[in-house]
Amino acid sequence: MAISIGIVGAGTMGAGIAHIAALNKFTVSLYDINDEVIRRSVEKINFEMKRSVDKNKISDDDMKQALTRIKKRTNINDLDTCDIIFEAVLEDIKVKKDLFKKLDQIAHHTAILATNTSTLSVTSIAAATKKPERVVGMHFFNPVHEIQLVEIVKGERTSDETMKSAAAIAEQLGKKAVQTKDTPGYIVNRVSHPFYNEALKILGENATTLEEIDRIVKKSGGFKMGPFELMDLTGNDVSLSVAESIYEQMYHDPRFQPSRIQKQMVEAGMFGKKNKLGFYNYEEK
Amino acid sequence: MKKQIKNKKTKVTAAVREKPKAQPVKSKPAEVKQLICLLGDEQLVKEYSAALQEKGIAVQELQNLASLKNSVKKITAAFELTLTANEQKKKNLLALSEALPANVPIISCAVTETILSQSHLLKHPERFIGIAAFPTLFANPLVELAPSLHTSKEIADNVKALFDSLKKETAMVQDSVGMVMPRILCQIINEALFTSQNDVASPNDIDEAMKHGANYPHGPIAWGEMIGFANVVAVLDALYNNHHEERYRVAPLLRQMAIAGVFWRTKE
Repeated sequence: MAISIGIVGAGTMGAGIAHIAALNKFTVSLYDINDEVIRRSVEKINFEMKRSVDKNKISDDDMKQALTRIKKRTNINDLDTCDIIFEAVLEDIKVKKDLFKKLDQIAHHTAILATNTSTLSVTSIAAATKKPERVVGMHFFNPVHEIQLVEIVKGERTSDETMKSAAAIAEQLGKKAVQTKDTPGYIVNRVSHPFYNEALKILGENATTLEEIDRIVKKSGGFKMGPFELMDLTGNDVSLSVAESIYEQMYHDPRFQPSRIQKQMVEAGMFGKKNKLGFYNYEEK
Repeated sequence: MKKQIKNKKTKVTAAVREKPKAQPVKSKPAEVKQLICLLGDEQLVKEYSAALQEKGIAVQELQNLASLKNSVKKITAAFELTLTANEQKKKNLLALSEALPANVPIISCAVTETILSQSHLLKHPERFIGIAAFPTLFANPLVELAPSLHTSKEIADNVKALFDSLKKETAMVQDSVGMVMPRILCQIINEALFTSQNDVASPNDIDEAMKHGANYPHGPIAWGEMIGFANVVAVLDALYNNHHEERYRVAPLLRQMAIAGVFWRTKE
């Protein structure tokens, strides 16, 4: 049975999900508020797929076929026949709740509504609908087509059946699915918190330089990237807001206290690679 | 028990070399056979011994302190690899400092106690240097070293040269509990155990998530098992005692695993 996929929000994550869904032979309805946003999103998918073709990961034909499966939608009511709808809009609880209320009315009564939130409560988003048992978190990681993992997040009222279906769909999308309860940071953002925060604390104690910490973590620990390189890649603004969100939601458990050093980086506008200045300087000389 | 492997290619720096009169062979004064003595935790001694021998270095694993006497003149460097700051470690360090000539470096695991407090009251504290000896890490290309306030530049340079000859990079860090990698790693494992204890996800899913979602070389719980949960707890307790901060509180489940020596998952 062919499952049809709807995606709300054609930004980075929405485009990423559309990309892998189309490549895995799903029909995708990609929705956003206007043609221009969608056009740019499909252009980005096109660009990323081309890179995969260049790396011989997919064939030129795979790419052409996949792109035909992405339907551009600017009317949200067109998602009424989708079996699952992924939400990938702004990380704002009010925006998401309003959207889910609307999707609850539009979507087929058996459809699964999946939020891609990384920090907000799935339980709270689900409570905006009349069918919270059909709402689930499906946390993809950026870049979606490269990172294997999807966290399947069980809200307080998410049914076991919905969890199973969501995991099955994630696997059909070529992903590794893990199940997690709806707690702050789920698994990855929570367990990797000390990877960043302890490194920042060591830096704060002036035990060594950040370049040295990165070198040690990679060459003594065997990690692919050092914490400071990774924070620069993710963006210090994004990293800090995730850390602050977990800290707030954990009712200020001191284990999750964000770092003053990172806060200062954000205040200084040193976001990382995206604006060429973070812990490292990326300005071309 | 002596384990020696000859390798003529091994070069030794001038300062860790013994005095010329101790050398029986006149024709090759530059070729001094290195002998590194190892004592401490079995797991670490095994890892270090295997890695050193692989590079053609002669190694003596000291089973007890009495056997130190027989080889004391041939030893060019000593590793004390007891992770936990306990009475045995103190005895070992005392014996090494009494027996070995002042120019022989003593490289001691300084993960749960600073090298300064380990060596401050011993003979020649300037020849002690800390190392982030921690299970599973020595196979990797870099070692972390921590000189104390007493450590001489000469000794630090010699030990660095020793690792250079082993084709290992070194990083000199401040002499502080946990050093860098063991400290970060133990905090990650601790949070993984809190996550497991809170029943957020299964241990297996936690490990899979970190490998596939964050590119970790091992799942943190499996990694903790490889290291030994008791060793992880020893580092966290030392950090807690040093900082008096809640962030180093050991997950109760982790402490239980440390006592039991296993994770329940392995019994399934």
